[in-house]
Amino acid sequence: METGRQAGVSAEMFALPRGLKGSNMDGIPEDLDGNLEEPRDQEGKLRSQDVMDLTEGDNEASASAPPAAKRLKTDTKGKKERKPTVDAEEAQRMSTLLSAMSEEQLARYEVCRGSAFPKARVARLMRSISCSSESENTAIAMAGIAKVLVGEVVEEALDVCEMWGETPPLQPKHLREAVCRLKPKGLFPNSNYKKNQVLLGRRPEGQVCLCRNKYCIQSWYDRTMFAGVSACQSTLDLPQS
Amino acid sequence: MADEEEDPAFEEENEEIGGGAEGGQGKRKRLFSKELRCMMYGFGDDQNPYTESVDILEDLVIEFITEMTHKAMSIGRQGRVQVEDIVFLIRKDPRKFARVKDLLTMNEELKRARKAFDEANYGS
Repeated sequence: METGRQAGVSAEMFALPRGLKGSNMDGIPEDLDGNLEEPRDQEGKLRSQDVMDLTEGDNEASASAPPAAKRLKTDTKGKKERKPTVDAEEAQRMSTLLSAMSEEQLARYEVCRGSAFPKARVARLMRSISCSSESENTAIAMAGIAKVLVGEVVEEALDVCEMWGETPPLQPKHLREAVCRLKPKGLFPNSNYKKNQVLLGRRPEGQVCLCRNKYCIQSWYDRTMFAGVSACQSTLDLPQS
Repeated sequence: MADEEEDPAFEEENEEIGGGAEGGQGKRKRLFSKELRCMMYGFGDDQNPYTESVDILEDLVIEFITEMTHKAMSIGRQGRVQVEDIVFLIRKDPRKFARVKDLLTMNEELKRARKAFDEANYGS
């Protein structure tokens, strides 16, 4: 099935929305449904997207050589361990979404997909910290996670900006507020945030000191979960309740 | 509260990173300025974001990478940073976890595709 060839990399198929825009985007979903008699030009466009996957976000590769692309098709045809229907649906949804975007949105999406932290620089940074060389995958993973982090912070900052009734160029105060909000959610690696300690607050009703003496006068404030009996300051020797 | 997060991070970065041309105290070459600008535009900010905002984000990213590297060095195989350690540290955060999984899977697929492509080229 034709979709078996493209499956698995369909998420990357739309790395170049502008290149896609020129083709018959309405025709693509129907073809991906398994219609094997595709017109030649559409096939050429679909092949070129596969080659663009290999060039990994190279935005200038809009006119890939068809012969190389056709050769690629015959190679990847052998890999059948994908789920064809799921990726066909996803590709269809993506193409519908892309056809509904405005020019500005497409430009922004293109930049969003194409931007990334350079792996070499991330690897160099990590090497200067850990003093040991890492595998290629480590830098790839770290660069990807850093990009997600930037996305989360910028989205939260845009929310903050909108909530405060201000306009887009994000100011440092928005970013700082966004970071403040995201910290309790555990998005940043933080060893200072002691989840085990009791947070300041009123003593909940019905709670007793760990020593089980209900006349204990120890304040709830300065007790941690690991305090145990020895922390009890109670001086009343009443029978245990 | 936000300043507390930035000041210790700032000092920590100066200890760790020599950087390019380190001038006086607190001067470090900006590592990710261009890429961060593109990324901020992609995620919804203005086409020309403020330089101070870009600086704050860069400090944040470098602090994040530094913390993760330190933590990864302390778990699993000590003194080394491995992918499994990063995956372990990220397990609580669904978005980042899913992204790492996707990236690594796609990387494997691309490598396989490139290998098949090269073999086809070599054969023909």
